Amino acid sequence: MKKILILTTIIIAAFSQVANAATITASVNGLVCAFCATGIEKTFKKQTAVDQIKVDLENKRVTIDTKPGQDLDDTTITKLLINSGYSVTGITRGK
Amino acid sequence: MPKFPALLKAIPAVLIIALCTPANAKLISYVDGIMVMQENDETGHTISMDYTLDPHYAVGWYSKWEENEKGGKDFSVHGPEFNTLIHRWNLPDGQANIFNSSGAGIAEGDGKTRSAAWTSILADYETRRVFSSYEIRGMYADTISASVWQRARIGIAPYKAGYNDVATWFMVQVDDHPSKTDTLVVTPLVRFFYKTTLVEAGYSSNHHIMLNWDLQF
Repeated sequence: MKKILILTTIIIAAFSQVANAATITASVNGLVCAFCATGIEKTFKKQTAVDQIKVDLENKRVTIDTKPGQDLDDTTITKLLINSGYSVTGITRGK
Repeated sequence: MPKFPALLKAIPAVLIIALCTPANAKLISYVDGIMVMQENDETGHTISMDYTLDPHYAVGWYSKWEENEKGGKDFSVHGPEFNTLIHRWNLPDGQANIFNSSGAGIAEGDGKTRSAAWTSILADYETRRVFSSYEIRGMYADTISASVWQRARIGIAPYKAGYNDVATWFMVQVDDHPSKTDTLVVTPLVRFFYKTTLVEAGYSSNHHIMLNWDLQF
């Protein structure tokens, strides 16, 4: 019984980690040039919490997938986008 | 052109590297970003490298070998420069900027070496289909040279390139440089960029080839 309980705890913990991977979408002004926007990709990829980043010029969005169990707060995302040369108009989060 | 054979020999190698490496036409890239620009055109040869300190400032090195000066008084200038983003407008469908770039160093020409200083104001506006820019630059190199030069560019993109696409731009550059043999020069050019590599090629009204590249890393 004890073994089953430990195993169940481990499985729940593992699923909980996967579930904690977040997808964050930032709406950005000034996003017109892919050559300049590569700075966004380079800046975010230096963050240990970031798994993948997608830049969408058509919809003026930057989508950030975090690693399981990690997150980036809105203040950090806004600062990183400003450091890349852009203005943030909104941030939304989804699992 | 043949005055710098070593430089010219290096261009194909660097271009190959550039085309194979993940490289801004702007004076400031992103924080901690390094930008290398190399220009070869009817005004001479330029190389600059800049490091972006924060969203408004970059420091770097500027070297230019000025050619086709009136009276054959070609010269070169070398020195550190400081780039400032004076203002940026991040718009829903565009971006506009005003930059200053200023530097000081030495000028070499006519067998002399003198102190030199330069400053420029660059303004640009671009969307995904339209580009325009204007730059005015002043150069003072004591007895070697003193000049003011203007450059304007307009461009259109035949298609809206996505982030992972090769972008193509057709542009026209107009130079007004009273210190040169040909004062007013028009250069049609094509610009391609993919991710961090930008290449431009053109042919000027005074029959010189333009070949520029920028890398960002």
